[in-house]
Amino acid sequence: MEFAFTAEEQAFREDVRRFVAEHPGERFSLDGMDAGYGSGAHSRAFMGALGARGWIAMTWPRAFGGAERPMFFKLILLEELAAAGAPFGPLAGAWQTADAIIEYGTERLRREVLPAVAHGKATFWQGYSEPGAGSDLLSLTTEAKRDGESWIIRGHKIWSSHAGIATHGLVFTRTSRETRRSRGFSMFVVPNGAPGIDVRPIRSLTGEIYHYEVFLDDVRVPADLMLGPEGEGFQALLNGLDSDRFWGRYYKAPALERVLRQLVEYANTTMAGGAPLGRDPVVRRRLAGMAADIAALRTLFYRAACLLRDGATITYETAVAKVMADELGQKLAQLGMDLLGPWGPLREGSRHARLGGRISHDYLTSLGHTIAGGTAEVLRTTIAVRGLGLPADRRL
Amino acid sequence: MDFTPSSSQQLLVAIARDFLRAQCPPELAQRLALDARGFDEGLWRRMAELGWPGLLVPGELGGSGGSLLDMILLVEEMGRAGLPGPFVGSAVVATSLLLGAGGAEQQKRLLPALAAGERIATLALVEETGSFDSRALTLHCEVPARLTGSKLFVKDAHVATDLIVAMRGGDLLLLPADRPGISRLSLDTLSGEKSFEVAFEGVEVDAADWLGPAGRGPAALEAALTAGALARTAEMVGAAQRVLDMAVEHARTRVQGGRPIGGYQAIQHACADLVRDVDTSRGLLHVAAWKASEGMPVGPDVATAKAYAGEACLTVARRSHQIFGAIGYCEEHPLHLLHKRMQAASLDFGDAGLHLETVAQAIGLR
Repeated sequence: MEFAFTAEEQAFREDVRRFVAEHPGERFSLDGMDAGYGSGAHSRAFMGALGARGWIAMTWPRAFGGAERPMFFKLILLEELAAAGAPFGPLAGAWQTADAIIEYGTERLRREVLPAVAHGKATFWQGYSEPGAGSDLLSLTTEAKRDGESWIIRGHKIWSSHAGIATHGLVFTRTSRETRRSRGFSMFVVPNGAPGIDVRPIRSLTGEIYHYEVFLDDVRVPADLMLGPEGEGFQALLNGLDSDRFWGRYYKAPALERVLRQLVEYANTTMAGGAPLGRDPVVRRRLAGMAADIAALRTLFYRAACLLRDGATITYETAVAKVMADELGQKLAQLGMDLLGPWGPLREGSRHARLGGRISHDYLTSLGHTIAGGTAEVLRTTIAVRGLGLPADRRL
Repeated sequence: MDFTPSSSQQLLVAIARDFLRAQCPPELAQRLALDARGFDEGLWRRMAELGWPGLLVPGELGGSGGSLLDMILLVEEMGRAGLPGPFVGSAVVATSLLLGAGGAEQQKRLLPALAAGERIATLALVEETGSFDSRALTLHCEVPARLTGSKLFVKDAHVATDLIVAMRGGDLLLLPADRPGISRLSLDTLSGEKSFEVAFEGVEVDAADWLGPAGRGPAALEAALTAGALARTAEMVGAAQRVLDMAVEHARTRVQGGRPIGGYQAIQHACADLVRDVDTSRGLLHVAAWKASEGMPVGPDVATAKAYAGEACLTVARRSHQIFGAIGYCEEHPLHLLHKRMQAASLDFGDAGLHLETVAQAIGLR
């Protein structure tokens, strides 16, 4: 056992800290909203700065322009960016897509898309869910039909984050009818702006735009933009889900810690009934309990990280971390509301808003987190069935 | 970063699990809980033959010089088995005190005997306030003089040969348990743990009774309280893992409505939460124990682990009662004893209130 970072990892952490001090988030123009996961807003400019440091591609093989740094460098980068509140929104998604392209992408994807990812220019939206296919993804109806050297995609995707500002979509389609319901699916990397794509914003309960729906009306896609094996896309998707869940939530613990630090500072400096709010025993206990919860969450992510690094089998470890991260996010946002009292519901930019009005934003966005990327209910079933070996419901 | 125990730690754990499965089955744990004395000399001797009471004792004093992390992994297995008895009090807490504060002669006289299981020591700490905070101690006496007063919740005082008495300011007295004027009154506990009020009535003490040279007591007491809190957390984690394993096994095999109850989402989702509670508790425990073993400052980590695991492991126990249904309410079923042990452990060596205050200060609350 060893619960410390190596000297090399520590040195990299210092590099990242210097970088974030020299590149404060407010200096970068933002393209899309912060959805509260902890990865900040979508900023192509900031992604460009990360790319210029070589950090987006740092773990890739040298043959693909990487530096073959160990996976834990990515953890450290995410921790420090999240702790600083930097706008690195698309980073985890870009990493995941790049890893898939490195693993089984075509020559064309490697040649055209990978360098753009490395420079922070390419970002991706996920075209998985459909109006009739949420938790039950296999009931999707978007189809791709072969036509010579191309595929023609027709369908309707929804809940795609940042689809209006990303450069490519990862569109999951049915490419053949098979007897096994889970076969016959394929993934395509579809450039935004391809003829026939119509991307429409969906205004969320925050009043802002984060999700989009995407209509694909006979969109012609060259065959070498298929990502992964034809017809085996669902298995590839499942295989990637464990690491998607991990990378999509890893920064949550440091991000929650950042909010907690702000609440501690608020409790120390806000007078209530003649004494600082932080002297109230209930407030102290709730804040300390939250710190313990976040520390507990970190151990889940560190353990999952070790399993991913070592190539060990993952059955439930990333699912349990995601569920806890998202539910803790809701608990922390409610704690923040309680501490702020009547100032809690004030929006960002409002007169008298405290802590920048961010707590009310966090509260609202946290409602989406326990749904996006697998609902807490679906994931609990996964933990029980795949992790503990409890019997699967055959109807599912 | 590495969560895997070393190969020697894995061996220690495997031996402990096999040994305790065979030597401390649930029926024995239950019988000892109900028995007034509740101490199995044969089992204690066999544990001593494995070298367990000497795990923290250096080789030159008859032990095996293991780390606190090694000890915590062993105690986790004891928690899993619901092992009763004076092990944590003697081999972890009192041994830590002797190592931290004891003079060379005292260490030479006692540690080899403790390591061999021939003597048993226990800490008399808590007073009427019920606090495990050493700053709350009031018992004191001038030395040489006669000591009068009492201590509460002294574990296994009936089998202890030696008492370490924590005094005001954190100084420590080392007294033979049979010194005239020392008496003990048994407390009847939920968990069957043997706990006593120890009374001192004009007990003669002189300068030779101080544990170690002047001034070493407070730091040694803090270290021993840390070790005790970690050991109690390890017991909870081991017990909670065992409860989880039993609950999952029950969910797989108990058929109602034509299928195993583990096929129903209400049970599946409960089990998913139990895994989270056990894994997080163990993660925090191992991080804190590792840091302590590396000599790092560890106060907030131990406090975090103890406070968090106390709540999480008891939640595991209560939800498992729901999964087991009526059978878990029976005395012959192993669930209740593990649950009672967790309850006792969560309140021993500082409850959530005490430890969360440590965390509160660590996160910067003024």
